Amino acid sequence: MSIYIQGTGCVSPLETAAEGLFPAVVNPAYDGARLKVSDPDYKQWIDIKQIRRMSRIIKMGVAAAKLSLQEAGVEKPDAIITGTAYGCLDDTGVFLTKMINQQEEMLTPTSFIQSTHNTVAGQIALMLSCHAYNNTFVHKGFSFESALLDSIMILKEGKSKHILMGGMDELTTHSFNIISRFNRFKKEPITHTELLHSTTPGTIAGEGAACFVLGTEKGDNSYARLTGLTTSYKPGSTAEIAADIIAFLAVHEITQEDIDLLITGRNGDSEEDVWYEHVESTLFPGQAVGCFKHLCGEYPTASSFGMWVGCKVLSSGQVPATVLFKGKTREKIKKVLIYNHYKGTHHSLILLTGC
Amino acid sequence: MEKLMAALKAQIVEQLNLQEVKPEEIGDDQPLFKEGLGLDSIDALELIVLLQQNYNIRIANPEQGPEIFRSVRTMAEFITAHQTKQ
Repeated sequence: MSIYIQGTGCVSPLETAAEGLFPAVVNPAYDGARLKVSDPDYKQWIDIKQIRRMSRIIKMGVAAAKLSLQEAGVEKPDAIITGTAYGCLDDTGVFLTKMINQQEEMLTPTSFIQSTHNTVAGQIALMLSCHAYNNTFVHKGFSFESALLDSIMILKEGKSKHILMGGMDELTTHSFNIISRFNRFKKEPITHTELLHSTTPGTIAGEGAACFVLGTEKGDNSYARLTGLTTSYKPGSTAEIAADIIAFLAVHEITQEDIDLLITGRNGDSEEDVWYEHVESTLFPGQAVGCFKHLCGEYPTASSFGMWVGCKVLSSGQVPATVLFKGKTREKIKKVLIYNHYKGTHHSLILLTGC
Repeated sequence: MEKLMAALKAQIVEQLNLQEVKPEEIGDDQPLFKEGLGLDSIDALELIVLLQQNYNIRIANPEQGPEIFRSVRTMAEFITAHQTKQ
């Protein structure tokens, strides 16, 4: 059984919240070591009466979901599955701050209701009056991959035709300051064109939401086939992950040579990029390699943005200049492998095939 | 009463984050729920908290809610009556 990506929607630091190809102008505005989402006019997807209660991640998620449904021509999916590591951080912060300031008295319900991790999936279901399976995976750097795995398994059961799934995380001033204490982000100023070549530790903090409609039939606007997915938690060494990649490709009856584009989660952190360096140089020497985290920043569900980039590459048959990191692209791009890891512990592989 | 109603309108807009509504656009007798301002049950809870926070009034009997929160005027009358009792 083939699984097709029938539609996508993405809200990111780029102007991606529109149907069609990869944005022509790519100039993500780094704010120090932070990359914020470029907010579209959310009123085009969300009723004004509902928007007033929504924090940014809810608006981002709902917009990405609506865009992907629109592209796929699906009104009501058979399941809604999301992945998020941090959930609705902003509303959690609002609620906790009020708890402290008001000594747990007179707390308002809205920020509490909106602070749970499954608010985005729930809000999408409410807007679509969709009473189908609704699930949210909160598994750190595997949140998106877990949602993807669940979607694949449900489709393989053969009872669902269309599944709306996605990954989303937001960055708040609080979370940025807290994560900064662990030296996760660059200390020196840097631009998106310099990040991938950086030789210092730390990366750029990011955020975003990318949704996909998956189905078992090839729709008119289908981007690609989702051919494979696997994860590896805390591989012991770079050699181990290289062996995992060879084994993963073998399961799908291909080798490294068959991969037309390798998209990695390289994020400019000299300590984390050694994984990608090893895989690129030992398994894919001379082959085309693309990157995406200089465009969206680092966050636990950033692989969803990577999959969105992979979809755009396959549907257009071209690798945007800003995505291509090294190597020469082949004339025809049929197979894209996305290799991402989060903090060196959560490694994932997603294989896409053109359709 | 006029001053209290103006203050209430501003507090409602702020507490409920009514982005497209200006306080002066809310009519004194305009229904707050359903066809009027379009508020819902979550907003009702927010309004209860608003009364507690700003006027130190706790609504003892929940069945009074629909009457108290019918409009800005009924809210103001309830607050005035409560403050007079104190």
